[in-house]
Amino acid sequence: MDGDMQPTGMILEVKDLRKSFGSLEVIHGVSFTMSHKERLVLMGPSGSGKSTLVRCLNWIEPPTSGTVIFDGTAVDPAKGDIRKLREDIGMVFQQFNVFPHLTALQNVALAPQIVKKTPKAEAEKEALELLAKVGLSHRAGYKPGQMSGGEQQRVAIARALAMHPKLMLFDEPTSSIDVELIHEVLDVMVQLAEEGMTMIVVTHEMGFAKDVADRVIFMDQGSIIETGSPSDVFEHPQQERTRSFLSKVHLA
Amino acid sequence: MKLDFPLIWQKLPFLLGGAWTTFSLTCVSMLFATIAGLLIGLLNMFGGKVLGAITRVYIEVVRGTPALLLICIVYFALPSAGINLPQFTAAAVSLAACYAAYIAEVFRSAVESIPKGQTEAAFSLGMSRMQSLRYVILPQTFRRILPPLANEFAALIKDTSLVAFISMEDLLYRSKMVSASTFDYLSPLLGAAMIYLAMTLPIMQWSRSLERKAS
Repeated sequence: MDGDMQPTGMILEVKDLRKSFGSLEVIHGVSFTMSHKERLVLMGPSGSGKSTLVRCLNWIEPPTSGTVIFDGTAVDPAKGDIRKLREDIGMVFQQFNVFPHLTALQNVALAPQIVKKTPKAEAEKEALELLAKVGLSHRAGYKPGQMSGGEQQRVAIARALAMHPKLMLFDEPTSSIDVELIHEVLDVMVQLAEEGMTMIVVTHEMGFAKDVADRVIFMDQGSIIETGSPSDVFEHPQQERTRSFLSKVHLA
Repeated sequence: MKLDFPLIWQKLPFLLGGAWTTFSLTCVSMLFATIAGLLIGLLNMFGGKVLGAITRVYIEVVRGTPALLLICIVYFALPSAGINLPQFTAAAVSLAACYAAYIAEVFRSAVESIPKGQTEAAFSLGMSRMQSLRYVILPQTFRRILPPLANEFAALIKDTSLVAFISMEDLLYRSKMVSASTFDYLSPLLGAAMIYLAMTLPIMQWSRSLERKAS
């Protein structure tokens, strides 16, 4: 949409974000910023809070405290900002969460019609273009139950793109996909990155992080413990916990 | 004691008349129970604290008391409050009120069986709570709810026999009438049993095939 406009300023500023479940705090005051078109990869052992953190960014998990400034505006749930925020932030889930009662085409065309009031014909035309973009033109009339995990996840990516998000969140997008199909999904994500999509990706795919990420954030036990370019973090990790995690991922 | 088939055959039209009462009462009650049950279930899940609490009390009270008691209240006690309902209406109202509570629970467990990720995905696309229900959750719920609803229908066919207590001439009551006039207790009751089975078995079969199709 914004074509050749040069982005200025930050798309996202997170300040002292905390999240508790009951009395258990799982995110301990995390802060980071992100500029337009930046590709950020979030890594860390399971239970480190990386999924919870990205889920806080679009209020799927409401943060307990802290500030999120998205595209220049501090998000204020009391003012009803959340739905607008979610229109602007696309999310791709580990379990795909495609709508099983709808075809691939309907999955992609639904939200623009009911949230943005796009006319049906227009929404479906764009949905077909998006399905072509993720390599699924031939599956437009299929329901999720008739598709592989890799195909379902690509439908989910197209579905998120249909809202023209300014930021895409990927929460372990390949963790539930058969190994031989993971590349289908990663290829689409690489293509998005090349087109200039701003994205945060929670993943253990080192190859993807090396090729695509501008910056890697390493989390452990609810805090950011290390951040830097992929080569800095992967080749010269400063923290012992980062080193130990990376050695296990390399072996796997 | 022996089975008197000629007697059953001879009284069959009379018994089928009772079966028609049973069947029509079931259909009318089920229709209103379903509408009320879905409404109560929706209010219970998404109506906020006050409506949620009121509907919860209703569901628990109805589920915790005998259906026959409700029938007796509506037919015998309400007239003293000035509400005089005809027999069929009283029976239909009490059975519908009773089954509405069961159906609200069936509805709730069907909604709860939809993975949380579906709502999260809908929200992540900017949908409101109402939109996520209408376009994502409820369409999936209605597929899952049909088999248990068919089971409730079969259960209701059997429970309509409670109206014999208020002297409504349903299938059970008429078979007892035949017994009383012929002093043969076994044959008319077994005849009634076969007619009940002829109604419930196909429905339970249908419910099972729906379940198989869903899975």
